[in-house]
Amino acid sequence: MEITRRTLLKASVAASAAATVGIPISEVAAKTVDEAEKDWLWDKSVCRFCGTGCGIMVATQDGRIVATKGDPDAPVNRGLNCIKGYFNGKIQYGKDRLTKPLLRMTDGKFDKQGKFQAVSWDRAMDEMEKQFKQVYKEQGPHGVAIFGSGQYTIPEGYAAAKLMKAGFRSNNIDPNARHCMASAVVAFIQSFGIDEPSGNYDDIEYTDTVVTWGANMAECHPILWARVSDRKLGDVDNVKLINLTTCSNQTSDIADSEIIFKPGTDLAIWNYIAREIVKRDAVDHDFVNKHCVFATGPYDIGYGMRPTSKYAFEAEKDIQAKELEVVLDADEAIAQRRRAGERVKQKNTKAPVKHWQISFDEFKRGVEPYTLDFVARLSKGDPDESLASHRQKLQALADAYIDDQRKVVSFWTMGMNQHYRGSWVNEQAYMVHLLLGKQAKPGDGAFSLTGQPSACGTAREVGTFAHRLPADMVVANPKHRARSEKLWKLPPKTLNPKVGAHIMNILRGLEDGKIKFAWVQVNNPFQASANANHWIKAARKMDNFIVCSDPYPTVSAKVADLILPTAMIFEKWGLYGNAERRTQGWRQQVNAPGEARTDVWQALEFSKRFKLKEVWGKQKIPGLKSKGFTDGELPDVLQQAKAMGYSPEDSLYDVLFATAQNRKVAWPDEAVAKGHACNTAEWLGEGWFPEKALFNEYREFGLGHEHDLADFDTYMSDDNRGLKWPVVDGKETEWRFNEKYDPYVTKGAGFEFYGKALKATPVGDLDGVTDKKKKPLPGRAKIFFRPYAAPPEQPDNNYDLWFSTGRVIEHWHTGTMTRRVPELHRAVPTAQLFMHPYDAKQRGLKRNDVVVVESRRGVFKALLETQGRNRPAKGYTFAPFFDESVFVNKVCLDVTCPMSKETDFKKAAVKVYKA
Amino acid sequence: MKTTLSSKARRNFLVGISQTSALAVTGGLLWSFIIKREARAMPFALRPPGALAEADFSALCIKCGQCVLDCPYDTLYLANSADSIPIGTPYFIPREIPCYMCDDIPCMNACPTGALSPTLEKIEDARMGLAVIDIENCLSWQGLRCEICHRECPLKDKAISVEHHQRKLSKHAMFVPLVHSEACTGCGICEKACPTDEAAIKVVQADLVQGAIGQHYRLGWKQEGQISQEFKTVPIPEQPVEATGLDYLNEGDL
Amino acid sequence: MPATEQRLGPNGKPVRSLELAPGLWPWLVNYRHLLLRRCSQLGVLLLFFGSAHWSWALLEQPLLSGNLSSSSILGLIPLADPFAVLQIFVTQHVLEQEVVLGAALVLTFYWIVGGRAWCSWVCPVNLVEDLASNLRNRLKINNAFHLPRQTKFIVLIVALLLSALTGVAAFEWISPIGVMHREILFGIGLGWLSIIGIFVFDLLVLRHGWCGRLCPLGAFYSLVGKYSLLKMHFDGPTCTHCGDCIKVCPEPQVLNLNQATTIGYIKSGDCTHCGRCISVCPEDTLAFNWRSLNKQSQQINHPLDDNYRRKSS
Repeated sequence: MEITRRTLLKASVAASAAATVGIPISEVAAKTVDEAEKDWLWDKSVCRFCGTGCGIMVATQDGRIVATKGDPDAPVNRGLNCIKGYFNGKIQYGKDRLTKPLLRMTDGKFDKQGKFQAVSWDRAMDEMEKQFKQVYKEQGPHGVAIFGSGQYTIPEGYAAAKLMKAGFRSNNIDPNARHCMASAVVAFIQSFGIDEPSGNYDDIEYTDTVVTWGANMAECHPILWARVSDRKLGDVDNVKLINLTTCSNQTSDIADSEIIFKPGTDLAIWNYIAREIVKRDAVDHDFVNKHCVFATGPYDIGYGMRPTSKYAFEAEKDIQAKELEVVLDADEAIAQRRRAGERVKQKNTKAPVKHWQISFDEFKRGVEPYTLDFVARLSKGDPDESLASHRQKLQALADAYIDDQRKVVSFWTMGMNQHYRGSWVNEQAYMVHLLLGKQAKPGDGAFSLTGQPSACGTAREVGTFAHRLPADMVVANPKHRARSEKLWKLPPKTLNPKVGAHIMNILRGLEDGKIKFAWVQVNNPFQASANANHWIKAARKMDNFIVCSDPYPTVSAKVADLILPTAMIFEKWGLYGNAERRTQGWRQQVNAPGEARTDVWQALEFSKRFKLKEVWGKQKIPGLKSKGFTDGELPDVLQQAKAMGYSPEDSLYDVLFATAQNRKVAWPDEAVAKGHACNTAEWLGEGWFPEKALFNEYREFGLGHEHDLADFDTYMSDDNRGLKWPVVDGKETEWRFNEKYDPYVTKGAGFEFYGKALKATPVGDLDGVTDKKKKPLPGRAKIFFRPYAAPPEQPDNNYDLWFSTGRVIEHWHTGTMTRRVPELHRAVPTAQLFMHPYDAKQRGLKRNDVVVVESRRGVFKALLETQGRNRPAKGYTFAPFFDESVFVNKVCLDVTCPMSKETDFKKAAVKVYKA
Repeated sequence: MKTTLSSKARRNFLVGISQTSALAVTGGLLWSFIIKREARAMPFALRPPGALAEADFSALCIKCGQCVLDCPYDTLYLANSADSIPIGTPYFIPREIPCYMCDDIPCMNACPTGALSPTLEKIEDARMGLAVIDIENCLSWQGLRCEICHRECPLKDKAISVEHHQRKLSKHAMFVPLVHSEACTGCGICEKACPTDEAAIKVVQADLVQGAIGQHYRLGWKQEGQISQEFKTVPIPEQPVEATGLDYLNEGDL
Repeated sequence: MPATEQRLGPNGKPVRSLELAPGLWPWLVNYRHLLLRRCSQLGVLLLFFGSAHWSWALLEQPLLSGNLSSSSILGLIPLADPFAVLQIFVTQHVLEQEVVLGAALVLTFYWIVGGRAWCSWVCPVNLVEDLASNLRNRLKINNAFHLPRQTKFIVLIVALLLSALTGVAAFEWISPIGVMHREILFGIGLGWLSIIGIFVFDLLVLRHGWCGRLCPLGAFYSLVGKYSLLKMHFDGPTCTHCGDCIKVCPEPQVLNLNQATTIGYIKSGDCTHCGRCISVCPEDTLAFNWRSLNKQSQQINHPLDDNYRRKSS
């Protein structure tokens, strides 16, 4: 039929009409779309960013990522993403992506003061080997260190941890998750004997009360917050959202109540709730009697600072002195039942984690001082709010928890974890939930959210911490070492029993020359660690060798001596574990650019350069003191190794990684790969599949030990959207410790807190141990009494404002990926300092002025914002840390929770003036 | 002779006058045509804060560029002859550099003619344009957690607010941004920040997009003082003249 | 150079040799007006440009901010194009005091130094015009048609009428002066096309076609210049009527020598005070001088002057 003008016109009218009323576009148009996308290959994957663990789908064509979408089948996000997730496909295409190893050189030789020059991988590894071996020989295994990560894939973290712990016999590997999760871990282990939350994200849909404590979920867990908000909207009158925060933020927007509290007084608020529970006799006595005991610990545990002022800047010395002795203020005195002005020597800085069981009566005595009057006065954080209003809100908060018709979920993140008493305040959350019996039930539970995509899956579960081994085991425990040595096929006493240096101590070790070789993997510690001026100087001025594996030139790369170009998430096979214990895997989608290599390959390749005789001989470990070991040294295990069939000439690569068993895990593995490449396997070229072999080897640790994971192929299969461990008989566990859901709970017990760690303690009262004999508490959780203690640094006349750092939704951590996405950079190009307009006016400052923020430790400059997303109360300031040109960590205080060693990034005293 | 001479001179004079007038009229018509096209045809330009209504603005603007020079953020351009903006007048393109809303309004203070009216006292009262959201391409309106425009808005919660809606497709609420004309200054920071390839929120001149409710009607649930529309005098309906309706009644069949 | 015999002028004084003595200094002296004009034209442009792009400032205030339409010196002294202000005025818009004051200052200035001094000392189009004129002399191109010098006054009237009728300052919307100046300062657009247009028009069609015959701004300043204080003085008795001044003058009609002899200065407001005639006059008949406000004293006793005789009788 001849097409006339008229028919054409008619057709186009119809088409536009169809478009306006939402009828799907015509088949012709659909076909054009198909044509353009016909070569796209879609595959499942996981978002690179936060601990929420959203599923995404990645489309590739000709070796490039061309598109992504939220995975509609992913139970976490159901096809949605936040704005960072929207840009997953762009993070690897920054213009300054590193493609060659770079070494500081002068005249062709390594020179610490030289300029970076491109070198071959062989040259890079040769230098790295030379430097490592020299330090290792001089300083022993604890002269070297690895900065690990909560963004490691599981195989990466496992390879790094195994190389370090089993190969180099060093426990100096610690992840940036130390900055993020460590307080949560301590509280989980101390309270339950096992790490990670009992509940899962479905709690959101089951509960009717969500309380956020120091968690700006709206920005930092955006997709989860969308679920919380949906729950609220679905039942507006009944569902209550309460946001406890030190700085008004977007999470308050939909909340029923916003409680602004003074930094550090969350410790007192939890105790007030506990006191109310006791006073109103709302304790779930049945639950508590059957499943819990009460406990407490010492108060005088310091603040995780150095015990000496030798390295402190002059201005820092007054704060540093508090590590040794504290003068109690009036509020602390009430809270700790002591005298105001009393000088308290910090006697328990070496063993802050020790604790003992107490009676319920003692517990009651502990919380007794936390009356509403006292706590309301102490904790009111907004000078513009009336005491009556704050009081009322606190009372309503307690009512919400106690109301037996309500289910309650408490969410928290960095506000509670990055806290000078982070482990305490985490334990207080469990205290309240356990007292009420509102734990480990659908819709009831204290739920610690993670910040990083695999803080749970890798840093914690694999055990890339200085004190940990896989599956919640610890190096200090001889049984754990023995089990690990058995699984790893190591001679007895290969593993080092001395806890290694945590992140802050690795940095401090660089500063005082005890650590002379450090390898930065999947993180950016020199930008992300508090009191940064010290560590930058240590890296550049001290005699040490720092290797940084990174896809981009970061701050840490800038202070390093050798930079290794590294593959990013979709350029390798991997698995992440999110905050609800969900392990999710993905295939390699594209090749890394240039000579960038995977972290697994880097670890394995490096391991080839070490023979057993170089590492398994006698090694000095200063300070090692452990039953069965000579003080200060690790024994020579080469003889036993020979007996096990190893030769001293064997390389670590053969003994640790390319074991006979692992070599059986063949590559190519078409059943799983389905056309996808595995560069690690191909570069090694030995016909085995490292990521799969390492995952399956690691999995052995958890099987039958409450940490069961499915096998690699299950996680990689197309229809799998992750499983919440323990995965027993192919079934995931929704709620742990609850007989209905958890196969590990003894039948008929109802609930059982079966974690095995710290399940026998001495007995005592609030003031100390009365009976040193350890009393076992099988299957029980501990309800801790922890008192309020004042922050070591508070605003004074000179540094007159609180300062806190954190995140914004648009940028991830130190911005190394998101700031390379042009759209995100355009949207939020720089970190601003948020301040109350009144404070700005007092200082003669205007919005958008460049201001200087100065603390005892350093300064940074930022643009001032007085009416933005964060609305600090008078006396309080906030700036995010993503922007390396607004280097907030030069100002932050490196006080840590003494128990978890997690830095308190949230409480520094600063002054602000016009630049 | 004298008469012939004078008549010739008079003729020459008249011809001269008419030629001159013809030249002036033709030239003037052409000229006014150019002016109309230049000064009146493009109402899309976004003007600096305080700019008068377009007709008055283009009359008063002397095209000196002092506002352009005094902007600390290099936001303003002076339209050149290649732009589709009235020549020589200041304007800005929010997607490139938005107005950062200086408290002291230096551009306005630089204006010597009052085209940027000094009656603007607070930058929050400026009306450079109005942000409009393309809800088909706005990520937040699709359910993604973006809302960058809301967070970056210097009049956050006043000019752009976020409403929470339930989303039918999943158990995730939608956080949808909405613009409020009574507070939006048209600074364009939202347009600059919008992360989509083509901004899904754009600043345009308000009268291009804004409607108006009939002056005879008030929204019953809004209290006095809450009404954002500016109602002037309501026209009083005309009184019917006597004996109307006769035309219909008397003429035509049913 | 061989010494030539001294020639004497009508007044008996020796006539200045028009042969340039060798060396830089005589050259500089001879071309001083041209050089100073270029310095002034480019200097104004540079001041604007430097203040806009290189942050030239004194006491943290930009030296010269804005452009020729309106500007301010050190953020203190406003300046404005009086013709532009007049156009806006006839659109019946109320102007801010600042711009009115600026226009008054500029108007006063040109009343003092001569209205069309603007044209040859400040206006950037003059550079184009002079180039076209120069080339035209070398290429010996004839005018394509004739357009009376008075045309510009018609354009001026039309500009004001259109301003009143359309409600916008009519000339400002098409002014090639504004376009050229703005685009040098604020970024290049298509303005160079109108400048090329003027250049081609002046070169191939009509000598001094734009500046001399069409530009309403020139016409405006011409009106101002009629009454200006600084004038080109004419020492009648020394004039040999050689006509060299008329040859170099861009506005030769202003050299009404009889009238000039009578009143002692060039009366027409069209004189742009460019100073070309001074350089070429061997008898130094022409020179800048202040016009005395006392009319009598301007009258020069000259036996040939009818007016004089009639008055004295």
